[in-house]
Amino acid sequence: MAYSQPHSRVSVLSTSSHSSSVEHLSPTASTTRFSLPSIPATPGAPAYPRPAGVRPNIYDRNLNKTRITEVSGAAFTFLFSEVVQYTQKRVSGINDLERRLNTLGYRIGARVLELMAWRAEAASKAPKREIRFLPALMSIHTQVWRAVFGKPADAIEKSVENADEYMIIDNDPLVERYISVPKDMSTLSCSSFTAGIVEAVLDGLGFPARVTAHNTPMAQFPSRTTILIKLEKSVLEREEVFKG
Amino acid sequence: MSHHLFLLSPSDTPLYSLTHHSSKPVPNVSSPLSSNLPNWSTSAFAGTLTALSGASSSAHQTSSGTVRMGGGQDRHVIQMIANASLDVIEDIMKSQSTMFLKSVDKFNEWTVSAFITPGNMKFVLLHEGKNDDGIRAFFTDVWELYVKTMLNPFHTAHTPIRSTIFDTRVRSSAKKHL
Repeated sequence: MAYSQPHSRVSVLSTSSHSSSVEHLSPTASTTRFSLPSIPATPGAPAYPRPAGVRPNIYDRNLNKTRITEVSGAAFTFLFSEVVQYTQKRVSGINDLERRLNTLGYRIGARVLELMAWRAEAASKAPKREIRFLPALMSIHTQVWRAVFGKPADAIEKSVENADEYMIIDNDPLVERYISVPKDMSTLSCSSFTAGIVEAVLDGLGFPARVTAHNTPMAQFPSRTTILIKLEKSVLEREEVFKG
Repeated sequence: MSHHLFLLSPSDTPLYSLTHHSSKPVPNVSSPLSSNLPNWSTSAFAGTLTALSGASSSAHQTSSGTVRMGGGQDRHVIQMIANASLDVIEDIMKSQSTMFLKSVDKFNEWTVSAFITPGNMKFVLLHEGKNDDGIRAFFTDVWELYVKTMLNPFHTAHTPIRSTIFDTRVRSSAKKHL
């Protein structure tokens, strides 16, 4: 997103600085208070040069600009490490920490779902939703992962013992790439954040589930992580109806 | 001819509603029920009852033409029709994968069309007459505006949408397509 001027905020200060503070307080000098350019009243109007210092509103932005809006890995890792530290200071145990990371991920997932679907479907004449579980799971494995992490996940597995459990496996999760969990917290998986994203997507599509993250390291993939999806009963019943 | 739009969150909380009066003429609908209706003008529920029976309500002449008052245009009746259609919508959305559900429900002069976003938001539109392509285009516009609202980190799935820009945009789209 490009501003029309590189230091737009500075220019706001400079426009108002020549009016003294007394003028600001007196009601008669109200013209100075309204001298700042306001947001154009007719959105969607031709793009005349935007007044300096006014942020474009969210409705003017294009939702399809993906190439230049990617976040650098370093910035994300730094932000996520701060997120984990911030959260850790405010919780009483590992479960609590994972739950909070999950909640944070949920907020992301709800948005990812809508945005991803809009990008894929808005141009089509008859936009579609996923209403079956397995195609939805496949689209999480490929599309959601690609939208969020830039690559598809590595595998989907179905639990042998429990019909309501599915697993998405990532051999090298991006969120954990630079995280080494201390020995005394070995059960913690910061991919709870990812689990939250998955949970939100499933929830939005109408497949309520409990999603958790677990470390399942292998020799060649030390940070391999399994996202475990435990579906609610209603989802399985609904799938049965479709089969019949 | 008027249109009523409701945006409902996944938990069916209304987030936004809009009444749009378009300049297109109202198609003539006659309802057999309404002709047999006695005059209830003394009852407190007169408006609701006439509306539910589908009676064409008292016409009111203004400079811009005929504007119908009361009856089927009553706010609470409109809301009731929209809410009642949710049952049908929820049934259909389980088996039909298209987001745009045209004419899912009919009630007297009102036809209900709906749009379900992948995140389970429901856009419900009450309209008279048939205008599938216009409604589809309108819903697509509203969807884009909704996605943009949704991306705002301060917006949650249950926050009513109060943005004036959102409102202006939806209105201008309604003017264009409905």
